[in-house]
Amino acid sequence: MKRSPFLVALPWITPWIIGFAAFLAAPIAMSLWYSLNDYSLLEPAAFVGLDNYKELAGDPLFWRVTRNTLVYGLVSSGLAVVLSLLIAALLEARVRGAALVRAIVFIPTLVPAVSGAVSWLWLFNPRFGLINSALSAVGVDGPDWLGSTAWAMPSLVVMGLWVIGSSVLVYSAALRDVPRALYESASIDGVGRIGRFRHVTLPLVSPAILFNGVMSLIWSLQLFAPPHLMTRGGPEETTYTYSMYVYNNAFIYGRMGYASALAWLQILVTLALTLIVLAVGRRFVYYRAA
Amino acid sequence: MSDSPHHSTISSVTRRAAIGTLAGAAALAAFWPRTARSRRTIPSGRVVLRYWEKWTGPEGEALQRVVDRFNESQDRIWVQRVPVADPMSKAMVAVGGGDPPDVLGMFSYNVAQFAEARAAMSLDEFASRPGAIDPSIYKPAVARMLSHQGRQWAGVNTCYTLALYCNRAILASIGADPSRLPRTIDELDALAERLIERDAQGKLTRVGFVPNLPSWWPYFWPIMFGGSLYDAASDRATVASEECIRAYEWIGRCAARLNPTAAGAFANSYARSFHSPEDPFISGHAAMIVQGPWLANFIRHYNPSLDYAAVPVPLSPGVPDPDQPRGMLEADVLMIPRGCPHPEESFRFLSYTQSQEIQEQLASEHCKSSPMARVSEAFMRTHANKSVAVHDAITASPRVEVLPQTRVWKPYADLLIGAFDEVWSGGDARAIMTRVQSRAQAVLDKAAALRSRREGAPA
Repeated sequence: MKRSPFLVALPWITPWIIGFAAFLAAPIAMSLWYSLNDYSLLEPAAFVGLDNYKELAGDPLFWRVTRNTLVYGLVSSGLAVVLSLLIAALLEARVRGAALVRAIVFIPTLVPAVSGAVSWLWLFNPRFGLINSALSAVGVDGPDWLGSTAWAMPSLVVMGLWVIGSSVLVYSAALRDVPRALYESASIDGVGRIGRFRHVTLPLVSPAILFNGVMSLIWSLQLFAPPHLMTRGGPEETTYTYSMYVYNNAFIYGRMGYASALAWLQILVTLALTLIVLAVGRRFVYYRAA
Repeated sequence: MSDSPHHSTISSVTRRAAIGTLAGAAALAAFWPRTARSRRTIPSGRVVLRYWEKWTGPEGEALQRVVDRFNESQDRIWVQRVPVADPMSKAMVAVGGGDPPDVLGMFSYNVAQFAEARAAMSLDEFASRPGAIDPSIYKPAVARMLSHQGRQWAGVNTCYTLALYCNRAILASIGADPSRLPRTIDELDALAERLIERDAQGKLTRVGFVPNLPSWWPYFWPIMFGGSLYDAASDRATVASEECIRAYEWIGRCAARLNPTAAGAFANSYARSFHSPEDPFISGHAAMIVQGPWLANFIRHYNPSLDYAAVPVPLSPGVPDPDQPRGMLEADVLMIPRGCPHPEESFRFLSYTQSQEIQEQLASEHCKSSPMARVSEAFMRTHANKSVAVHDAITASPRVEVLPQTRVWKPYADLLIGAFDEVWSGGDARAIMTRVQSRAQAVLDKAAALRSRREGAPA
């Protein structure tokens, strides 16, 4: 008797299918339904049609958190792409201690978000923090990083760059895959270091740049734990992010229906931005034939 | 079975793995503990109540002593305290999911939300049971907080008021009379100015008083000017009233006097130091601070020699009345969520905790004043907070304020957090409060409209 591979595999993937259906697919479908309801979790849902979506347009806080999140997402993901590529390029330049530096760069990604946020809270402390102490040692009066409307969001961006270790590893792998012969040819043709980086390295690691850029953008648009723990969205709502607003509406204000509408819009915007980046990236990304 | 060697290998590996997995699962089932470790000490035959409470550490241990007392006082019910962080969100999910605990330890501002959603059981439903609770056992403002729309929804589980704590030694060091603490805002401002200390670079090293240290109650200050945030009768936000605006203008002046950036940085540097040896008041970096009665607990742990005294928060001229101090009252409450497995037993436990003796035991260990109308002489005499009489007077005062009893208090409060920051940075208090009132009213109106829609009546 010959069984199809699918039937053989089915018992093994069934637990995953059940988990996916119960804990992901069903909640996603339910959240779409709840977005059309007034639902507080404490009371049965009451159908309100598109009211929750209409309310978004007139909600000043919605526009505020959207702007904050887009600014953070674009700046943070852009800087993460550039910085991690530069670090990876330096590490692949056969410098002494590269393995140690690589490990140091990667370790922060293993630190839980809450622990990291608490540590950074102390680093950013205006009086007792290491950053301002270091600045003070060179005669600079450091600002109130998280308490200043001008510095709070940039501080979160800097903190976000602390966890670029995964991106660095992806770039390192991509850089090692660049054929040495191409560098040698370019050198023979008189191309300098910067020229080799621009005309050889960048095109050949462009798929990794696109991948890291898209992943970084998606993650940064979901920013939640650092501002939730460190600034509570302040000062003056300058670090209030979209995911925090979704959470507050769902679990603090008792407006799960409105939170679901916010979440669906977040998914659609993230999807749209990802597609735009992929479409634009396709014009610049170079894929080598296998 | 199979005619391909490759397929045969897959099948044999699959079969071996399947048998191994099943054997492993059987072994796990055989040896899995039948009783959770936390339930092994429960005497058999008892009805077990799950009680979610937010307190941990010494405050949680004090509460556990009350729970232990109840468990020993009878042989039918066993209360199991489950420490739960962020109880509001978890309770909402548990109630929504149809699996609530038996007893919920929440905050007084949650009462309206749970009451309007009928997510908690009204204690009036137990009026005919033994241990029925007569609201007159509480101080009047406490009874008000436990009720909503004319019915009682919760029992109290300690309460607190805010008072101005003064470091008498620092006051004496600048020549101020430590027995004559500020009673009006003008006196507070004048004294605070004299207490400021700066280092050689001009940086603040000590403040007299700043309203953002701590920044936990950005909605508190209108009380000092005779204002209030909400008119329950008309369901209107009133934060743009003249009294409230004067309060936030005063905050702006406090910030400007010290330099908003410098004072903000000073306060933020202590944001994570409260209730520790580095607490700005306990360590002498703030000479006066608005705090709850629990501060005395931390003083006796970290700096027992600190010479302090508390007074009702100073008021604007014309408002003070020594016999009827103003202040803000909040409470921790116990609720029985609707749909809980054992409502009768839950009420019996809740009722047990509402005695003068139990509340005094808990309040004494938490270093708070008693929420009960009758207070024993021993409680006041042996209390660890030497200013407990001040807190007790505020709690009992007919002019004490409680937080707005509306289900949308949290979004309203969050608007006030942002507004406080704006005023602190030099924003125009009148414009900011007018805007906040408009936004808060929109939130209130939305809630009213949704409530009307649910009840099938026009908003």
